[in-house]
Amino acid sequence: GISAPAVYFVDYVTNSIYLEDIVGSITVQDHINSVQQSGDDTSSLLPLAEKMGEVLARMHDEDLIHGDLTTSNILLRPPTEKLDLVLIDFGLSFISGLPEDKGVDLYVLEKAFLSAHPDTETMFKALLKTYAATSKKSGPVIKRLDEVRLRGRK
Amino acid sequence: MELTHPLELFPGCSVTLLLFRRVRNAAALRKKAMEGSIEGALINPAMIVDPFQILVAANKAVHLEKIGKMKTRTLYAEIIFSLSPNNNISDAFKKFGISDSDTAVLIVLVADREKKINLEDITSQVEGQQVSVDELPQLTDIAKVKKLYKVTPQEEKIGTLLDSIVCRMSTKDVL
Repeated sequence: GISAPAVYFVDYVTNSIYLEDIVGSITVQDHINSVQQSGDDTSSLLPLAEKMGEVLARMHDEDLIHGDLTTSNILLRPPTEKLDLVLIDFGLSFISGLPEDKGVDLYVLEKAFLSAHPDTETMFKALLKTYAATSKKSGPVIKRLDEVRLRGRK
Repeated sequence: MELTHPLELFPGCSVTLLLFRRVRNAAALRKKAMEGSIEGALINPAMIVDPFQILVAANKAVHLEKIGKMKTRTLYAEIIFSLSPNNNISDAFKKFGISDSDTAVLIVLVADREKKINLEDITSQVEGQQVSVDELPQLTDIAKVKKLYKVTPQEEKIGTLLDSIVCRMSTKDVL
């Protein structure tokens, strides 16, 4: 139940995977940058943050860890107002039910988010709020996220 | 009428789809297909949602033929096998091949620089009416397709039925 490019063909000879091209899409990173550059209020980005929290919650509830969550690994299908998100680049993903792995997944996104997009703390807060509300297993994950954050700061 | 599409990964190679309705000799055609005397894959159109599904199967079959790793004995059998979401060859034929009582048949032909196809050869053997491939959606049994490919309601909310099917076809040997 997660939107990701369809796999069309797997070539074991050349070790290549042929995937669907999401035509006309932009990365969430480019979208946030363009909104900030045009001087728009980042509060207009809150619905996007909430949608991201929702998608990640569904992904983690299926015990799928992305492994490389950044705003350039999430695409927006046109038209962008629809907030139709597509997750890409599962090269580092794996299956795990551990709150630790999910917490780290979110931590990686938080670091990538805040370093690529200054002044987006409220965005990420909204993302986590929706994540916690959508995911059936969020309690231990958020707890681990807090612990991982503390570890990172040492 | 018929639909021809090149296979981008195999220059010079193309796939042609012919759709027939009101077919009266399905049993004879099936026999010919089993004997190998018909140069084409005879497919049950009820299980096909879009020509792209055929292209993905044909692409995989051509690829495997070229590297000598087909699971079946002929390219056309391999196309039918590639349509299946599982690795059971006889099951694939039962579900995707035609049966004696069928009144509609989708014929798939593959041509390349060495092998040219003769449409007359094929159409003359079918006792039925050739119609435009655009009529394919009218023949699709969506419920049966969803059941066979085990498409969940969650998936349907996110993507198209065609995407779900194609993913299963292309990754069945990975899982």
